[in-house]
Order: sequence, then structure tokens, then C-alpha cells
Amino acid sequence: MQANSPPLALEGAVTIYVVQELKAQLLAGVRDNAELRLDLSQVTELDSAGLQLLYLAKREAIRQGHALRIVAHSDAVREVFDLCNLNAWFGDPTLIPAREPNRQAL
Amino acid sequence: MDELRQAYIAESQELLVSLEENLLSLEQNPADADALNAVFRAAHTIKGGAGIVECDFIVEFTHVVENALDDARDGRIKLDGELIQLLLASGDQLARLLEFAADPEARPDAATLARGEELLTGLRNYSIGKEAGGDLAATPDARLESSGGGMVGHDCWHISIRFGENVLREGMDPLSFLRYLSGFGEIAHLTTLLEGMPEAEKMDPEACYFGFEIDFRAETSKEKIERVFDFVRDSCTLYILPPYSRVAEYVELIMALPEDTLRLGEILVQAGAITPQELAQSLQTQSLQTQNQVETGQARTAPLGEILVEQHAVQKELVEAAVVKQTQVSDKKAQDAKLIRVHADKLDQLINLVGELVIAGASAALLAQKSKDEGMFEATSTISRLVDEIRDGALRLRMVQIGETFNRFHRVVRDVSRDLGKDIELVITGGEAELDKTVVEKISDPLTHMVRNAIDHGIESAEARIAAGKSARGRLKLNAYHESGNIVIEVADDGGGLKRERIKQKAVAKGLLAADAEPSDADLFKLLFEPGFSTAEQISNLSGRGVGLDVVKRNIEALRGTTSIDSQEGVGTTMSIRLPLTLAIIDGFLMGVGKSAYVVPLDMVEECIELKQGEARSNVLNLRGQVLPLIRLREYFALAGPAGRRENVVVVKYSGNKAGLVVDELMGEFQTVIKPLGQIFEHLRGISGSTILGTGEVALILDVPSLITLATEFESGRAFAPSLH
Amino acid sequence: MKTIFLVDDSATVLISTSSILAKAGYQVEKAASAEEAMSKFKSGLKPDLLITDLNMPGMNGIELIKQARLIPTLRFMPILLLTTESQQAKRADAKAAGASGWLVKPATADELLSTIKLVIK
Repeated sequence: MQANSPPLALEGAVTIYVVQELKAQLLAGVRDNAELRLDLSQVTELDSAGLQLLYLAKREAIRQGHALRIVAHSDAVREVFDLCNLNAWFGDPTLIPAREPNRQAL
Repeated sequence: MDELRQAYIAESQELLVSLEENLLSLEQNPADADALNAVFRAAHTIKGGAGIVECDFIVEFTHVVENALDDARDGRIKLDGELIQLLLASGDQLARLLEFAADPEARPDAATLARGEELLTGLRNYSIGKEAGGDLAATPDARLESSGGGMVGHDCWHISIRFGENVLREGMDPLSFLRYLSGFGEIAHLTTLLEGMPEAEKMDPEACYFGFEIDFRAETSKEKIERVFDFVRDSCTLYILPPYSRVAEYVELIMALPEDTLRLGEILVQAGAITPQELAQSLQTQSLQTQNQVETGQARTAPLGEILVEQHAVQKELVEAAVVKQTQVSDKKAQDAKLIRVHADKLDQLINLVGELVIAGASAALLAQKSKDEGMFEATSTISRLVDEIRDGALRLRMVQIGETFNRFHRVVRDVSRDLGKDIELVITGGEAELDKTVVEKISDPLTHMVRNAIDHGIESAEARIAAGKSARGRLKLNAYHESGNIVIEVADDGGGLKRERIKQKAVAKGLLAADAEPSDADLFKLLFEPGFSTAEQISNLSGRGVGLDVVKRNIEALRGTTSIDSQEGVGTTMSIRLPLTLAIIDGFLMGVGKSAYVVPLDMVEECIELKQGEARSNVLNLRGQVLPLIRLREYFALAGPAGRRENVVVVKYSGNKAGLVVDELMGEFQTVIKPLGQIFEHLRGISGSTILGTGEVALILDVPSLITLATEFESGRAFAPSLH
Repeated sequence: MKTIFLVDDSATVLISTSSILAKAGYQVEKAASAEEAMSKFKSGLKPDLLITDLNMPGMNGIELIKQARLIPTLRFMPILLLTTESQQAKRADAKAAGASGWLVKPATADELLSTIKLVIK
């Protein structure tokens, strides 16, 4: 796959009920792409199982010298990232409304 | 005794030592928050353990002690000399109570209980009586002040939580807890920890790997926060620190958590809970105080300070000192992690076996030599070399530093000088010198005797000191060092010193000295160790020395050691004891006289010389211009048979004096496993033990110090020719 | 809207509890026995939270939790067990069977709702 292949889009509830399948899919994506782009704009629900899987994918990408970039966040995703103070870890420019403080500055 | 109780008692005894040490340092510096915390922790751990082994009488007693300590820690009561005295006495009481802890059925006797009740009443009264007026303690600022800088101005609860793996499978979501917390307070700072998540391959996406460090601002109680995590309490690790916790408590938290110290320290610093300096300093203190706790953490290579500097969090200069300290902490931690606890009996057993191995090895080597089989000879010499190493290694296992024994004297010095109304400072040096544990155990009593003596009779009253132009505060020094296979322990005071003339008069009057004798200082002062010399009242009047010193001498001699005194009138007195490092096995030098074999400790052998025919028929030898007294072992032990055609002199040296032992044959170095002599031989002068040779024959181990004394006396005409008969 | 499934053999509990939940904005499903609950699960009910009583005639609450966890779509559903103060010992059994937590009867509306908030996703 090329670096400019279309982003991998996750949709609906990224929760514990789907993480088994998603793990294989995400890890393959990370392995096969020098830069994997993730579109999370259609994610309606993200729970801790989903979150730790995203964390794993990012960690794997770093380990393999690849990149994982989240190109779009839904509100549900942003809420969880903010809650867990993980914006800096995922290192992507989240689309943060001006009125919210930028937690990356921490 | 079951293993749990045994472990509890051993641990508690160690904690009591730390409790006492820290109380004594608090007495010097009442603002030492770390020492106070250490005292509290010791009491707390003793109580907790007592609960587990179901020793209710210890739980009850310690509970009150702990409360008093808690009050002192929070500044509700003042930690003054009186309270410290009470707490020290409580430590002693705990030691007594522990004696009853070994047997589950045992209960303390009435006297012990009464003593405990007395102390508890004292502690309770203290708490009530000294309660600070007003609600000073309730305001954060006041607490900040009273902690002596150990507290930090952080208004958040700190919550550390690591979830169990099954949390998700039980239908829970760690995120719900965070949302719930935000519902009744403000999450001021949060760090998500997923370090515990295994590598991709092994990671189970349905298992939970989450951990959070949360700084939580809310008007709430610890119970309320705990209740939030009620459903996962059993499977998770949860620590909650209230706002304005002490740095030391954060540090304890860091130590308790699985992640590495650096990462956690960084998080806490980021959260504003503590400053980098506080962290580094406390880590240092903490590590020293918890030497016995084996940490799972690894030694850090990247010091916290470096990273903080990179982040411009602190100035480089400020951190440099802290970085150095943290490295030390890491080294220390790495060392601690390697410690294991072994029962002393097991070591003793091992050393006994090594002793047998040495003898059996020597026997095999002898046979190999006789067999003239080259291969066999090679093999046995390799074995001998390995046995040597095993012997040294096994003995090293039992070596302990003398420092721990020395440290106990802080209390003795404090108590005795208090009783006598003297102000005395104890200075300890050489605490790192090592010696065999069995020796250490046996010198505690004689040493106590000497220390008490020095305080009681050696150091003058403050008035007398000032009159003599000295500082009012007396000084007592404990020192130890190694010297040729021995350890020398010194108890030195800067008191009035020994009054030579008066001791001499006394010695003459007692018949210990000829009226016209002119003994050297060392010889004269040695008399203080003689039994006849020392009845308390007389000696106090005479010179202020000698109470029970004969007992000290007997104890030390039983350990194959010697005692000596050096003193200068007006300047002070130093008493030294000199002991072998170990009681079990020595490197010996084997000599033959006729058919008998004798051993002297190798490190006392200076040189060996051939005694030419006809030379030195007298009992002295001219050794390069110096007079060397000789002892002919054949005569001394009244052995049958004529002197060998060729005789040899083994020059031995001890404590600055030399003598020559005349023997037939030099048989070389020999590993000597010391067997104590039976009672019949106990009073034989010149013999300190026996050993078994590879051939199975017995050889006597010569007591070099006493032989040298004999030879010197004889040479100077004060005694008859040395002989056993 | 989140759905909460209440299982209790006591009509009083069912009625009082469901009214509190409904007022708080939850949709409530009810069953008077574990067997009835299982048949609702089998016909496709997938609540956001199950609250079940412990002691019921027939299958008890712990058994129900075990059975429910075997249904793939309910593997990670939050489950609260209703116990009395004296049944604390059962909490460990409930956790072992797969419960998320417990509720002590009788619970006030506040206690009920705040516990629900803690476990519902």
C-alpha cells in the first residue's frame, strides 16, 4: 500500500464487543503502511477497550518506525482523549474549538 | 515457632532498632520530618504485623503509640524530650512484648502488662495535656509550618489506580470512573498509564491494562473516593493521598507502584504535587530508611533531574546535587534488591560442613602425595584451591558490619549520661569494618561494660571539665579497624585519664606488683583488667576505673582476643579490644616438634630462621641486632626425645611484641579448622585450641599472645623459664 | 436513551425501583424471575444495564449472571446484584460469576442513581 492510500475509517461503536476483530485489522494496517491514517470522524462511541487498542496501534507504529496519524475525530473520540489526557500521546492536531484550553500544552 | 511468627518477630526487632535510632535523631533535631515518619512507619508496621499474627496485646499497645506519633506528625502535640523519653520506653516495652509473641498461647506477665499500662497512661495524658490550643493544626498553613518543610502546598487529592485485568469482562469501564469523578469534583491533572500493556502479540484487547494518576480537587473524604472504586477494589491497586500530603508520602507511593520511579516522579512533578528537589531528596532519605524493603524497581540510568532540566522545569544548578543523590539511591536500590534473608543456623551449618570439607580435603591431598600419582596430585590440588575459595566465601557470608552494634550505643550513652547528669557526645567511626556475626553477638556485653565505664568514671563532670579548660560536653569515640587478620575496637574518652601513681600504689598494695617494679604504662594499666584489682568502690576512689573490667577481659579472651589500655593523664583514655575476625577457620602455619604438630595463625608469623648448631643455647637470639626471646617448644611442652639435628625458629609477632618459637620442622601453611579444647585443657596457658590434620592426627593451636608474654617476662627475668610443668 | 433491565421476584421492588429509574430518564424493562429474564435475552433484549435480585425462586441471581454472560452480545454488559446488608459474603460469588458490582437493598434513590451512573456506559 502507498503512503497516500485512503485513510482507514472506523465507524460506529469502537467498543469491547469489536476489539478482537479490530485488533487484527489495525495491526495489519500499521504493519503494511509506512504511514497509516485513521479517520475516526464516524466513531459514535469509544470505550476503554477501544482506547487501549488505539494506544497499542500507535505504540506498534512507533516501534516499527512507522507513523499512525489520526486525521479526523468525532466528538465521542475527542471527549475520551481529553478525559484521559492522551492528545499529546496520539500527537495529532485534534480539531479543538477555540474556547477549550489546549491540553497539549501540559 | 511457625514461620510467620518468626518472620514477624525478626522484622519487628529490626524496626525497633530503626525506631530507636530515629527517635534519638529526633531528640537532636525535632524538626526532622523524615525521622518522625520513619518512627511512625515502624510503629505502624509492627502493629499491622501483630494483627496478622494475632498478637492482640501488641496491637493494643502499639495502637496508642501510633496515635501519639500521628498527633506529633500532624503538629497536634509537640515532640519534646519528655515525649521522646516516653516513646523510647515504649520501644523497650515493645521489645519485651515481642518476647511473648513467639508462642501463640503466651501472654505477657503481670509486671510487663503493668509497665505497659503505665506507659500508655503517660502517652494518653501527654496527648490530652499537650493538645495545642485553637485549631492551628486544622489550617493548611499551620501544618505547613509544623512539618519542617516536609509538606507541600498542593490542594488536590492524589489518586493512583491500576485496574485489574478482568475489569472489562465484568462489564465495567475505567472511563466511567473518570466521568463519575468529574461529576463531584475537578480532575486537575490526569495521566493515563498503559505501560503495563504487553507487546502487541500478547495483548488481549478484552483485558484491561489501564492505570491512572489523578490529581483531584474536591471537598470530599477519603471514604467517598474509595467508594467510587468499591466494585473494583479487590482486583485493583488503589492509593489515595489527601491534599497537602507530605513529600515523603508521595515518595512512598512512588515506591509502592509498579512503574519506574522516574516516570512516576515526573508525573507528580508535572501535576505540581511536589518539586523536583523535594522528590530527589526524599527518594534519598526514603531509600536509606527502607533498606530492608526489597524494591522491584530497576536502577535508573537517566536521572530525573536531567530530564527536568531539559524541560526547563528547573535550573541546572539546583538539580545537580539532587542528581548525584538519585544515582546513589539507585545504586543502593540495586543492592537492596539483591539481598536475601537466611537463617543464621543454616550458615553455621554450612560453615561446619566447610570445616569438615577442609579436613577431608587435606586428608585426600596427603594420600595423593603419598601415591605419587601425578594426575591424582593435580586433581587434589585443584580441589584444595576450590575448597580454599569456598571456605573464604562461606566465612564472608557470616561477616557483618560492626556499625549496627555501634549504633545501639547511642541509646546507652544517652541513658547513662542522663542518669549521671553528664552531657556526652558519641562519635562513631569505622562502622563499616566487618567481622563474624558470632563474634559480633558476643562483644556487645563487654563493649557495653566499657562504654558505661568510660561515661561513669572516665569523663569528668561538666564543672571539672571546664576547670580543666575543656569543653563542658564530653566526647566518647567508638572506632573499629582491621589489622592483620584481627579487628580492633576502641572505646576512647576525652576524660581525666588514668592516674598512674595511684594505680601503682594500689597494685603494690594488692600484691599484683613488686614494690620496686617500674612497669611501662601499658603493663601497669593492664592490671586494671585483673580480678583482684577491681572492686567498684575502691577503684572509683582511686582512679575512676576498673569496675568489672576483669569480666570484660575474660569475655574477650574467650573469643581469642586481647584487651589493652592507653591513657594520658588529663587527656583521656582509650581501651582497645583486639579480636580475630572469625572463630571458625584460620590460615595456620604448621610446625613439628618430635612427633607432635603445632599450629600458629599464619598472620602472626613474621619469618622463619634456621637455628645453627650450638647457636643460642641461651633463651634469647640476636636477631639483626635485636634481642629476641625464645621459647623452646620441646622444653615448654616437656616432649620426650632429643632436639632435632636441625632446629628452626619461627618468629611470631603480636601487638608489637615478638618472640621466637624453636621447633624441629617447618611444615608450611595449613588451613586450620579450630576445634575448641575440652575443659581439661581450658587453663593451659599457651594453647588456644586444637585442630585435626589430614592424617587424622590432632595438632595444638598455640596461643601466641600468651606465649609472647611469657617469653618477654622470662627474658626480663621476671619469671622462670617457661614451662608447663 | 439507556435501557435498564430490572429482575426481581418482589413486585414492590420492581414498581418502586422502576419509577425512580423512569423519572431519571431511563427506559426500564422488567422481569419477575431469572427464567423470564433469560427468555427476554434470548428474544434479543440487549439492555445497557442489568439489575438483578439475588434470592429468587427457581434460578437465583448469580446463576442468571453466569447464564447472561454466555450470550455473546451481553458479555460485557454492566450488571448489578441486589443484596441485603447480611448477604455481603455473596458479593465475591457475584463478582466471580461476572457481576460488575452490587447494590444494597433498600437503597435510596440517590444511592441507586449514583451507583448506576458509575457502571452504565
